Amino acid sequence: MKRKKFNYKRQEGLVGYVFILPWIIGFLLFTAGPLLFSLVASFTNYNITSQMDFVGFRNYEKLLFDDQLFWTSLWNTLYYVAFSVPLTTIGAIFLSVLLNQDVPGLRFFRTIYYLPAVLSGVGVYLLWMQLLDPSTGLVNLVLGWFGIDGPNWLFDPEWTKPSLILMKLWGVGGGMLLYMASLQGVSKSLYEAAQIDGASKWQQFRYITLPMITPVIFFDVVTSLIGGFQIFQEAYVMSNGTGGPVNSLLFYNYYMWNKAFKVFDMGYAMAMSWILFIIVFILTMINLKLAPRWVHYEGEAKR
Amino acid sequence: MKNMEENELFKKRLLFSLMAVLLVLSGCAGFQTGKENEVAAEADAEGKVVVDFWTFWGSEIRRPVIEKIVEDFNKSQDEIVVKHTFVPWGDIWTKELAAIAAGDPPDVVINDINATALRGQKKQAMNLSEFLEKDDISARFYPELWEATLYEGDSYGIPFNTDTRILYYNKDAFEEVGLNPEQPPKTWDELKEYAAKLDKKNGDTYERLGFYPLFGVNYDVWMLNGSGHNFVSPEGEVQIDTETNLETLNWLLEWKNHYGENVVNSVKSQIDSQQANPFFTGKLAMFVNTPTFYTQIRDYAPDLNFGVAMLPEKEEGSGHTSWGGGFVAEIPEGSSHPEEAWEFIKHLTDKEAQEYWAVKNYDNVANTEAAEAAAKSPDMPEKDQVVYQTAVDNMQNTLLTPFPLAAPDFPTLLNPEIDNVLLGKKTPEQALKDAQAAVEQLVEENKSK
Amino acid sequence: MKQSYFDSMKNREKVLKAVNFILLCFGSLLFLSPLWWMISTSLKTMKEVMSFPPTFFPKEWNWDNYIKTWEAAPFDLYTINTVTITILVVVGQVLVNSFVAYGFAKIPFKGREVLFAIVLSTMMIPGFVTLIPQYVLFANLGWLNTYYPLVVPAFFGSAFNIFLLRQFYMTVPNEMIEAARMEGASHFYIWRKIGIPLTKPALATVAIFSFNGAWNDFLGPLLYVNDENLYTLQLGLQVFKGEMSTQWNYLMAGSLIVLLPVILLFFFFQKYFIKGINLQSGGK
Repeated sequence: MKRKKFNYKRQEGLVGYVFILPWIIGFLLFTAGPLLFSLVASFTNYNITSQMDFVGFRNYEKLLFDDQLFWTSLWNTLYYVAFSVPLTTIGAIFLSVLLNQDVPGLRFFRTIYYLPAVLSGVGVYLLWMQLLDPSTGLVNLVLGWFGIDGPNWLFDPEWTKPSLILMKLWGVGGGMLLYMASLQGVSKSLYEAAQIDGASKWQQFRYITLPMITPVIFFDVVTSLIGGFQIFQEAYVMSNGTGGPVNSLLFYNYYMWNKAFKVFDMGYAMAMSWILFIIVFILTMINLKLAPRWVHYEGEAKR
Repeated sequence: MKNMEENELFKKRLLFSLMAVLLVLSGCAGFQTGKENEVAAEADAEGKVVVDFWTFWGSEIRRPVIEKIVEDFNKSQDEIVVKHTFVPWGDIWTKELAAIAAGDPPDVVINDINATALRGQKKQAMNLSEFLEKDDISARFYPELWEATLYEGDSYGIPFNTDTRILYYNKDAFEEVGLNPEQPPKTWDELKEYAAKLDKKNGDTYERLGFYPLFGVNYDVWMLNGSGHNFVSPEGEVQIDTETNLETLNWLLEWKNHYGENVVNSVKSQIDSQQANPFFTGKLAMFVNTPTFYTQIRDYAPDLNFGVAMLPEKEEGSGHTSWGGGFVAEIPEGSSHPEEAWEFIKHLTDKEAQEYWAVKNYDNVANTEAAEAAAKSPDMPEKDQVVYQTAVDNMQNTLLTPFPLAAPDFPTLLNPEIDNVLLGKKTPEQALKDAQAAVEQLVEENKSK
Repeated sequence: MKQSYFDSMKNREKVLKAVNFILLCFGSLLFLSPLWWMISTSLKTMKEVMSFPPTFFPKEWNWDNYIKTWEAAPFDLYTINTVTITILVVVGQVLVNSFVAYGFAKIPFKGREVLFAIVLSTMMIPGFVTLIPQYVLFANLGWLNTYYPLVVPAFFGSAFNIFLLRQFYMTVPNEMIEAARMEGASHFYIWRKIGIPLTKPALATVAIFSFNGAWNDFLGPLLYVNDENLYTLQLGLQVFKGEMSTQWNYLMAGSLIVLLPVILLFFFFQKYFIKGINLQSGGK
């Protein structure tokens, strides 16, 4: 017991490493190697089976200066991320707040809203192709009730990405789950105090709920940003493998997959992946730097 | 301090339960490394060689057929045991590629014929010329299919099955509007003329569409039908911006303008979702698809009175060129038993197995003799024979469009240009010109590699 | 005066509640209609599935579709396999990530920020460029055709879950930890006695996410398992999808069966969220 006091600080540091040790081992064992390999191979003409010659920066040069589809795919992806991330975040918060009230049948409601998030796979995408059918689909039918003449969704290059965003909004239950978990940490005494002060529901949400769930909003934004950049399968299925009208669904990863597994230009695809990495990494770092301005960690309240 | 003891206890329990988990795992099949499956173990005991055979045929229709073919082979000799594994469609090739990269691939895999030469070039599939020197089986197959398996003159996969595109038409609808149900359209002009007659409008909505060329197939089939050749020649010459293709594109655009965006999109979304098909219910009078589409009509719309025909030709004498694809059996590079794999492939593509596959699955096979025989097989119902015979006859008009090695992914550049034309955002002239330039650039780039 | 003030507050609450309820009902219809399409398809004959225009209700309710689906492949076996993998993955994910996340959130050590940035970075490289090298790696370990590649990594943390749990640990007051440290408690002890109980809702979320992830995993088993006896439910469902056509009714029936445990699990785990609610609205 006495020895514990000896060099407290250094020991603390060691304990920290012990805690993250499983991750470090896993990283070195399973992740670091393949990542390093893909970085090295991005400077080669690697085609998986027969060649891997060093080509310098040629893949990168070609991507940035010669490949129009690279820019198309990057633009499509940025468009998708720019809309889907804020919309799904707001949608998830909104739902979680609604479902955190005292209403009859709460358990059912929660399950219903959560359900689409666990439905995955090709069947769901094909189902959405039916729902988005311009004339007999359910979506335009409902829009019609409100006197809105629905768009051509998956057939109009202007509307293909909104179609996918709409589908993503339907699967907002995963994010909702996160926020519900986070809302459990907000103590009821705060609300009671606010009520006595005569705060409206909106004020309570704005000044109590919202700050308390900022750590999870931060998490949600960062991870959906990362995830958003990786959209692929939805677009692949819903465009029948063509990339959609005028390549409007040719997302970054979609194009990369074509290069890697259709024409086996794996070195090129790996170069693509590292460019994507740099973009997402910069965006994430900006997020991390901005976080202290708006993310409220109760644990550090004293600072 | 009691807490501390409890803590130690917890640590011990944690450790213990982890150990227990590991112990349980070691007894579980999924956690035994190097475990051989039953077939392999049995074969080993008898001194037989196991040939690992991967297909994507797992459905209740296909699976029994392929397994019967495998079983027949296994019974026919006593040195080789073929073990069939179902791997899901599409992803099977990702897995195959990973396995080749890891140096431990299966011995026979069914793969896409259009990429066979490309896989040969990349050394994913094994060069089969050595085996072909001993037993030349190339004459078994449609020449067009055989050609597609060649890279620098050597074959890298043996054709297994194939398909083509034919015209289905609704005989009752023909009769209704006074067309002879035994005389389907023969040219593009006739096609248009018949379609106009078959169109049935009720106010603003169509009760029946005569025909739309881009349901069921893409623009490339019609361009092939019109020109008789692929967009990029095997030598890397780009033939996109041609007079014929321009005419074809204008023709497609006329159809689009005839029905209008909304009608086309609505029906297309139904067809694309792979479920409801308006041809079944007479809402679409003519439809282009594969011969196996017949089985869907047979099963889902048995009362439909329909006929089949070759694709119409652009103008008289230009040829009823159709488009096809198919699958090959290949030996992945690094297979540990190529000799035995070859023995099995010979069995797989021989007349007997091919005919059995054709009849049982109602599928077009690569083996010419087997295809002819299947069309007349007593095991095939008479009704089925009609479509099958048409398909077999159509094979002589059928061209394949294997990925050109000079620009295997050129469609990603061409597709958006054609889309722009059909959306009215670009003139056909400009689009073809732009596509030609873009694909030429791609060919150039690939050359410099 | 005071009395009526409270009355109007109460009335307003009531109105809000009613609005909330109506909103939720309407929303559920929107969220459920695609699910209804699945159920409806699963009960139809293929002939009806393929009919045009599509029918909203099945003409006949073919409940035996579900039996046929189950018999189309050895789904009993696939269930056992999937359950085995899933349980192990969930155990690993919940245990290890909580531990690692505590380290990142509550123990200061040198290089913490850099290491955490690396954790996040591992999520940013698309999976399919590392797919081939990773496969080769597992092949070299002799792990092909076993569940090791699917299960073992779960015991070494996942970036997503570490990040998630770290965010929750960050909201645990530092004073609480420091006070415990003063009393001589080790970090391991604090993690177990304070950390875990305080982050229960988050752990429940991780459990649910990992369960879904492992249960619905398709690419993992596809790549690493060769023996069909080791296949999982998601692989089994693929038998209904062919290169030309799909048996929609069976595929939907199968998907619904596979979905059922996920729903049940969610129902069960909800109590971790509901408990919180009672705390908040309990002042009746």
